[in-house]
Amino acid sequence: METQMLHIFRNTPLGRETLLQTSYFCKHLDILPVIYIPRYLKFLMYFENEVVQVDLDSSYLRSPDTARDHALQIVKNMGLPEPKFLEPKHFTASTLPDIPVDYDFMSCPRSISDLTSKIGLGYIGPRVRRIVHSARFPVLIPSSVFKPWKSLAVLFGGSANAVKTLRLGMRLSSISGLPLDVFTQEGRRKRGDYENIIQQEGLNTEMDKCVRNWRFFESRSLAENLYEVPDDALIVVGAYGHGLVKELLFGSTMEIVQSICPNSMLIVGPNYRALI
Amino acid sequence: MDDRLLLIAFGAVVGVCSGLAAVALYYGLVFMVEHLSVLREHWWVFVLPGIGMAVSSLFLEKVVREGAGHGVPEVVYSVSRHGGLLRLRSSFSRLISNCLTIGSGGSAGPEAPVIISGASIGSNIAKLFSLNERQRITLVGCGSAGALSAIFNAPVAGMVFTIEIIMGEWSAANVVPIAVASVAGAQITRLLRAPEVSFTHLSFNVDLTSTLASVGLAVVTAAVSIIFARALRYSHHFSDKIPLPVWIRAFIGGCLVGAIGLMLPGVLGEGYHSIGKMVEGAFAGGLGLMVLLVAAKILATALTLGWGGSGGIFAPCLVIGSFAGLMYHRFIDLLWPGLSWVNEGCYALLGMAGLISGTMHAPLTGIFLIVDITGRYDTILPLILVSALSTTICHVFEPASFYLRDLIEKGQYLKPRTDAKVLADMSISELVEKDCRTVPRNMLLGDFVKVVQQSHRDYFPVVDENTGEFQGMIHLNDIRPYLFDSVMYETVFLEQIMKINVETVDIHDELSDVLDRMDANGLFSMPVVSSNRFVGMISKATLLDRYRNELIVQTQH
Repeated sequence: METQMLHIFRNTPLGRETLLQTSYFCKHLDILPVIYIPRYLKFLMYFENEVVQVDLDSSYLRSPDTARDHALQIVKNMGLPEPKFLEPKHFTASTLPDIPVDYDFMSCPRSISDLTSKIGLGYIGPRVRRIVHSARFPVLIPSSVFKPWKSLAVLFGGSANAVKTLRLGMRLSSISGLPLDVFTQEGRRKRGDYENIIQQEGLNTEMDKCVRNWRFFESRSLAENLYEVPDDALIVVGAYGHGLVKELLFGSTMEIVQSICPNSMLIVGPNYRALI
Repeated sequence: MDDRLLLIAFGAVVGVCSGLAAVALYYGLVFMVEHLSVLREHWWVFVLPGIGMAVSSLFLEKVVREGAGHGVPEVVYSVSRHGGLLRLRSSFSRLISNCLTIGSGGSAGPEAPVIISGASIGSNIAKLFSLNERQRITLVGCGSAGALSAIFNAPVAGMVFTIEIIMGEWSAANVVPIAVASVAGAQITRLLRAPEVSFTHLSFNVDLTSTLASVGLAVVTAAVSIIFARALRYSHHFSDKIPLPVWIRAFIGGCLVGAIGLMLPGVLGEGYHSIGKMVEGAFAGGLGLMVLLVAAKILATALTLGWGGSGGIFAPCLVIGSFAGLMYHRFIDLLWPGLSWVNEGCYALLGMAGLISGTMHAPLTGIFLIVDITGRYDTILPLILVSALSTTICHVFEPASFYLRDLIEKGQYLKPRTDAKVLADMSISELVEKDCRTVPRNMLLGDFVKVVQQSHRDYFPVVDENTGEFQGMIHLNDIRPYLFDSVMYETVFLEQIMKINVETVDIHDELSDVLDRMDANGLFSMPVVSSNRFVGMISKATLLDRYRNELIVQTQH
């Protein structure tokens, strides 16, 4: 089945950078971009157990007459086939379209609802967090300026969801042919514990085959150690939260990473089902 | 815990919460009316509904960013299409906006806002406890029933309305929790406030003449229902075309309602006070005034709801219905003054049932609402006649109820356990058969024959060998004459014999549309193509096999 990535297009310079990043991602992973050019400032995404309303900032409706051509040009210049343009079929209300959620990936800027001027490092908007939390697909959060990435960096923390993230990283590495580095921040668990997890999950052979380097950070905090992550890597990181306390702390590692690293990030939420 | 017991327990909780939401709305309205009544003596009071509606629409659009309609269709849509998923904000947003609209004098009812509020509470409680889709839909129904039951103190009507309109089906698994929620909602309202619409102290002696005369009332209420439904739609479409911000439109609409209210104050607000006077038989005014009031209330409600106010049509239906009932009573009294008719209050009640039945296509709701608020069965015979006939007549002119019409027109209403619902719950991606072998367009027929020998399929998609784009299809039946002519094996390329301009399916197409296209073109399978790439085949046989499985799942409960 053809793999598809949903992209909400913003016809602005920032939107251009975001779509460039999406196109680059699609090109390396043989994914078809599906572009939605909004005609309304709101849309709904009905996930399995939650409905998320996305209130876009007004720049998403800018210059609708040139939006399609701009998007087409960006995608074609990246050497991709013609993208699919999404036209919503169902509406909860006349100005409130429902956007399908059966995609394999989605690309989102750090914030989708606030003005472009407010977007900077250190902030992931509440809508994007809810999409990450509810979606079955991973969410690509591109860097503010398009920068081609040349390797993948998985942050592996040892949990069951981190294993899913690692599997995704390995799969992306084998499709794209790009090297994969794994980074682990040691805490209560030590190096041997992580290696045991990999063994229990039957990932030893794949780790040997796909992973270029597995770095363990034994001292300093994660925030300090993130300096070691290559500047030209796509960071693959999980965002989890199960149980009441964890729900409150949902995505705390994701926040640390995105506030420190200017890299593009692929975030794997708690409801991610391996589609690729 | 047993599934049914679990749903009953959750139903009670949702009923209580919905009842509390209804009580909160009631006290909010009381507060607004009390504090704004001092302004009623000023000449400029007509702008009050305008201000209220403008603030209400600003609140919905800018503060809570609802972007949706009056409530009931959204609940029906969510049950029909999305397993009862509703936004948390809907549990309070319409309560506040409705309070602003009605409290300032807008002509609308509090029922639709309180229904969506209750439904949203049910949906979000289901989400909090990770209940499955079927259980969530039941809790949405519980919320709706609890809320309506609480706002009217009418538990049976709340339950029946939910099953007739919101759920669209009677099933044992749903009815019990919804009944419990309805009781819980009514009990909360009885504990915390005095019911506004209650006529348990009245009795009516309905004789044969009055029962027969109710047939005429059914015709009148049907006609008024049709006019009312069309006025609401026309007003909405008209205001949509005005190139002004929604809050300015709401302000203009509200001012017009206020202007009508200067002459006929009875049309303002939800109108329960007028209903009380009419049913008690204490409403003064002749036939002409009654006709004027029916027209004015229809106009005021159309302006309120069509131009940006927030509210429902339930209470306006009751008010217009009781005006229509009184109008009819005055009319027959004028025609046959010698005959003794039942008290005019009875006709007001019958008119209410007629309008609800006609506008909403919900005859049982109409009947049981009147039984609930009168607490007796005195009027049951004409009540059944008026409700049944009004619904039937309206159905001829307006094939769908006011709540469902837009959804049906857009193909978004899927009644449970129907063909459309079963098909909507399946997707093409689940049905695609991927074991098809693609063949390049420049393949020689001789090579193709070898491919056919190794395949169990009759269809072969042809693709461009360089771009991978889908080019056409080859069906064995179409090329049978060439297959046995070995002379052609080395001379004919597939691109020469393939069928181009083939009907294709997109992965996101609706299955009902795909089936319609298969039937129209006499096809048994179609290629699924996405961005000019062949994805797989979809066949009627696989579809019907999965259809049966889905039907079994949907009819298990």
